[in-house]
Amino acid sequence: MNELKQICKDALSEKKARFIIGYKEDKNKRIKPFIAKTPEDAEQLTFNHHAVNNLAVYLPRFKNNVEGKIGIVVKSCDLKAVTALIQENQIKRDDLFIIGVNCSGVVLDIAKEFNKDNTQIKCKYCQAKTPPYYDALADESKDFEMPDDDQAELMAKIDKMTSDERLEFWNAEFEKCIKCYACRQVCPMCYCEKCIVEKSEPQWIDTSSTARGNFSWNIIRAFHMAGRCIGCHECERACPMGIPLTLLTRKMGMVASSEFGYRHGMSLTEPTLIGTYSTSDKEDFIK
Amino acid sequence: MEEKFEPKIAAFVCNWCTYTGADLAGTSRLKQEANARLIRVPCTGRIDPVFIIKAFENGADGVLISGCHPGDCHYNAGNFHARRRWILFKNLLDFIGIDSSRLYFSWVSASEGKKWVDIVDGVIDAVRAKGPFKQYKKMNKEIEIPVAAEEGVSVK
Amino acid sequence: MKIGVFVCHCGENIGRTVNCPEVSKACASFPGVVHSEDYKYMCSDPGQNLIKQAIREKHLDAVVVGSCSPHMHEKTFRKACASAGINSYMVEIANLREHCSWIHEDINQATKKAIDLMRFAVERVKFNQPLETIKVPVTKRSLVIGGGISGIQAALDIANAGFEVVLVEKEPSIGGHMSQLSETFPTLDCSQCILTPRMVEVYQHPKIKLLSYSEVEHVEGFIGNFKVTIRRKAKSVKEELCTGCGLCAEKCPIKKKALSEFDEGLSNRPAIYVPFPQAVPNVPVIDRSVCTYFKTGKCEMCKKVCGREAIDFTQQDTFVTEDVGSIIVATGYKLYSIDKKPEDSIYKGYGEYGYGKFKNVINGLQFERIASASGPTSGEMLRPSDKTVPKKIVFIQCVGSRDESKGFSYCSKICCMYTAKHAMLYKHKVHDGEAYVFYMDIRSGGKNYEEFVRRAIEEDHVNYIRGRVSRIYEEDGKLIVKGEDTIAGLPVVIEADLVVLATAMIAQQEAPKLAQTLNISYDKYGYFQEAHPKLRPVETNTGGVFLAGACHSPRDIPESVAMGSAAAAKSLVLFGADMLEREPIIAKVDATTCAGCFYCQKVCAYNAIEKKEIRDRLGNLQKVVAFVNSGLCQGCGTCNATCPSKSIELIGFKDDQIFAQINAFAEV
Repeated sequence: MNELKQICKDALSEKKARFIIGYKEDKNKRIKPFIAKTPEDAEQLTFNHHAVNNLAVYLPRFKNNVEGKIGIVVKSCDLKAVTALIQENQIKRDDLFIIGVNCSGVVLDIAKEFNKDNTQIKCKYCQAKTPPYYDALADESKDFEMPDDDQAELMAKIDKMTSDERLEFWNAEFEKCIKCYACRQVCPMCYCEKCIVEKSEPQWIDTSSTARGNFSWNIIRAFHMAGRCIGCHECERACPMGIPLTLLTRKMGMVASSEFGYRHGMSLTEPTLIGTYSTSDKEDFIK
Repeated sequence: MEEKFEPKIAAFVCNWCTYTGADLAGTSRLKQEANARLIRVPCTGRIDPVFIIKAFENGADGVLISGCHPGDCHYNAGNFHARRRWILFKNLLDFIGIDSSRLYFSWVSASEGKKWVDIVDGVIDAVRAKGPFKQYKKMNKEIEIPVAAEEGVSVK
Repeated sequence: MKIGVFVCHCGENIGRTVNCPEVSKACASFPGVVHSEDYKYMCSDPGQNLIKQAIREKHLDAVVVGSCSPHMHEKTFRKACASAGINSYMVEIANLREHCSWIHEDINQATKKAIDLMRFAVERVKFNQPLETIKVPVTKRSLVIGGGISGIQAALDIANAGFEVVLVEKEPSIGGHMSQLSETFPTLDCSQCILTPRMVEVYQHPKIKLLSYSEVEHVEGFIGNFKVTIRRKAKSVKEELCTGCGLCAEKCPIKKKALSEFDEGLSNRPAIYVPFPQAVPNVPVIDRSVCTYFKTGKCEMCKKVCGREAIDFTQQDTFVTEDVGSIIVATGYKLYSIDKKPEDSIYKGYGEYGYGKFKNVINGLQFERIASASGPTSGEMLRPSDKTVPKKIVFIQCVGSRDESKGFSYCSKICCMYTAKHAMLYKHKVHDGEAYVFYMDIRSGGKNYEEFVRRAIEEDHVNYIRGRVSRIYEEDGKLIVKGEDTIAGLPVVIEADLVVLATAMIAQQEAPKLAQTLNISYDKYGYFQEAHPKLRPVETNTGGVFLAGACHSPRDIPESVAMGSAAAAKSLVLFGADMLEREPIIAKVDATTCAGCFYCQKVCAYNAIEKKEIRDRLGNLQKVVAFVNSGLCQGCGTCNATCPSKSIELIGFKDDQIFAQINAFAEV
């Protein structure tokens, strides 16, 4: 803990960053995002199993930054979002002071203690406890045995269904959608100034919360994340209706990996999946 | 007796290869079934996957997408970008439950009039066998606004 | 919006299977349609007048014509509407012929489909916008790549019309393969005698800038406005100082190590050399791979003898950029390497003919050098191995051509003629010699070509044997040629002194790379692809880039010259106007919603997407958005489909236009 605080304090006093986006504990012992502007502020910065938020969501607003570096505390999953945002011109690497933290998992329900039954899905299959790159690294990891990846089991189950059963499954899920767009707001990759769902001339998606509109919205959202989703699972966490949104985004990530050997947000130099092509991309489905 | 089901097929085709190939099928008087409606776009690269969703929303039972063969794209690489998008979108739709019996892809060049006819007839037959896209039609029905009963009210 | 609908019967072509009056009647009830009629021939003058009249009388804003394919008559109807005061992009065509009447038999089904197609078009046209053609300025200057006869002709034609030309040649001299030839068919006039004056004319022409020993590195821009980066390879000689006296080459101690490219390896050249005496420009280059100075740091003989201090060992490759409006590609051909299987090649080669193994098995160009007065034997007919006069000579045609299993499926076209010429030249020099030609067919289409071949057979008594050669081997200084005479049905064995292989003409190895630089297509052999095989044979699919000569396919001299002139004429057509007109189907960015992710830039094949800074009145950067260079955009719309927020749209194929069609599908 002291290590993170010390790194941030030093960064602010040495002007390596003009402020640091991190986490603090509030009066109710809840962890929430916090911006430390002075070395004194840095005293309040903290990190633990309850630091679920992906802070990269704040970065696009600094894309025309001219003043000085922005410090940000990131888990390895969050760093993928930072990478993707750099690749998509939403922030410059030179404008960032990245403080990586070694993470050993975060909670699913922030009101409860971290334990085997209260672990984010993404942590169950996380392969990089340490961010792949950073400007400073704080070690906050603790030994913890990860529970089984039950989402993968569910995905395998869906894969085995007939297409009509799958359609039924998803219709039942999408029926819950109230079109609040929390999934979009919380997503670090959803930085568009005007979302496609807000386009009215022409209207792309029925905005009313009907089966058809919900269906289109969720498909299009998932497609817009294909090859771009970095798997932070914030959408599902934010969804008030409990729709298993990450089933879709994770599926698209798996397709990207199996069809193209691609994993988004892992490297700053690897070209993006969308926007590039290979002449040998699979086409066995094209007659 | 129930009327025989005739599927509605929406076909998105590129201007330079498949549309011209379909023209050739016409010039060659190659007979084909009349269930497909072509929508011409400059390039398969122009086809947003949402077009497919929109087509289903508007009652299509099947969607066919066709463009230039790889390497023949009038715009050099539009079909390569399209192909990559299709791979992703096709997998997504498949996972959601709209499988490849509703969605078809082909490469048809300007000289492949015969191939175009075979593809169109093949898709129509397959979708006819699969039956109407009931699930989507149900979703569509839900949002239909009851038309005003009074006479003389035109909804234009 | 007031829409007029016009349904064409196309005589009976549409009318036979589509009930046109019924279609017209159905269209009249579509929302927005104020006029609907059908007519026998809409594209005829009276038909067009019906449209014009309706536009004037009913004050139409848009027109939908149900007729043949838009590829057929879209332009006709657009023009007609424009003349009656409607913007030509307010016209939509429904394809009732190729996509309906011609492909369906059931009149009810076809009529229903025709009504649907009309509905699509009517719904779409409601979202059309009046558009103006885009005008872009033209740089009236041309780049010619390749200084062979085709490129020379193109350059001279353009320059003589008064426009500047940049001629880029990768070798130290222009002239190409034609400069290597001895005599030309079917007239047997001396190749150099007719070529050299042209080369000199190029050199002295005030409108031609000759960049020899140079290669095109990079091309940006579009028709009328190309920016070309050219690499000027280091000659190690200061061109402006050199007088071409030749003393350096004479004194160069390296005489034997380098094979002369010009003599096809039949002679040697020094490390500092001009390829041949009539070279243009007459400036030597140093071949650094063999030069003693570049290998050991010692020698400098050439530098010592040069009175003009023109030798510069420190010279580096330099880059120049040239602005041009058109590009003519005339990079020519090379011969199939038959001695060994080329690396990474799927072609098997002709190892059994012993080329590269037996000194007296040579290819056509080598024979040209032996027959040429400027060649290694000064025109004496002497074979390479022992410099004796060959008394029996065998020519083998189609080595690599017309043979998919061992070479290429195409015909190299010139071999029949040059083999006849070779045999004739031989007979003219060696009166008591015997010449044999193995052939598959004699293809002598061309003015005076067939007569020429007959002359070789009848007057010069060349023995033509129809059949293939299976094997060649050496025995007692003779080449044993084993073949078959398929007409007599007998095996043939000839003890030859010299064998000449008419090897296939193939595309330059670097052709695909150049094609990618120029954004043009090439076929599976590496030959550049024309825009249309019949009607646009010298144009490419990239506007402003034209083809000349054997880089397109095997060509003889008159064809290469004609193609050079044709490409020049195409350039001059371009230079005839100050502004170019282009279809306004290009992408446009909505800067207010663009989030600047630049996926559009990634998918654009034309580098048409630029970054644009939006600043407030105080000059503070607000955001960086995409911006479309309307000159570069070709209108594919890939950016439109890729943009997640739909902030970039393809004008003419906007989302609302396509959605209107898809939405109309609901009523199908």
